[in-house]
Amino acid sequence: MNVFSYKQGERLAEAFNRWEVEYLFIGKSGAIFYGFPETTQDADIFPAKNSANGQRLISALRELGYDLTPRLEHDLKVGKDFVQLRGGPFDLDLVFAPDGIETFVEAQSRSLMIDGKFPVASLDDIIASKRAANRAKDRESLPRLEAFRDYLRSRNLIALPTNPSKS
Amino acid sequence: MKPEFNQLQEWEREFDAAARRSLRERMEYSFIYTYKPVLDDAKFRSFNTMAEYKEWCRKNLPEYLGYW
Repeated sequence: MNVFSYKQGERLAEAFNRWEVEYLFIGKSGAIFYGFPETTQDADIFPAKNSANGQRLISALRELGYDLTPRLEHDLKVGKDFVQLRGGPFDLDLVFAPDGIETFVEAQSRSLMIDGKFPVASLDDIIASKRAANRAKDRESLPRLEAFRDYLRSRNLIALPTNPSKS
Repeated sequence: MKPEFNQLQEWEREFDAAARRSLRERMEYSFIYTYKPVLDDAKFRSFNTMAEYKEWCRKNLPEYLGYW
């Protein structure tokens, strides 16, 4: 089992860009891009929910090495709200309709490109989504995540520097 | 629940430490693998709605995983 890493993130971003997939990182993995020091086990992706984007997503996932069955391809194209992928190069949760976020276009307008290559939903949207999901693990992580957002704001930052030794 | 002052101070020290690391380093520390029973036992799962997904979690996943 390969754990998601910066290198894997680069591979994902390159493949998704090549196939012009509309997507954002979201969830705790998204917050980690902002610098949130916390652990998680999979990458959460918020893809735009439409059949054209679903087809592009299928091509990008194939390129990354996911073994997609006909049924899974169908599900990605017709637009399920949630698809969980295991057994590929890294675990991936595809959240097409995250709680607490109205539309992909709105979330995209508030998103940030981290390190010039990783499109990430805004911290406010990540927090709103976790608050709306209201699972035990969300309730547990929310106070620390909100404290992190406040920490950034108090320092007039939108994210921690991606490479502080060179800044 | 609002965190206590001491807790906030501790978190701020952790955020300061994270600010001294590169994104690459932060990601190496943040993504871990732990086997999650049931959840990790299928190659893929898909759900029509988030409500359907949550219902599946409630019916199938152990509570300690925190998915409900």
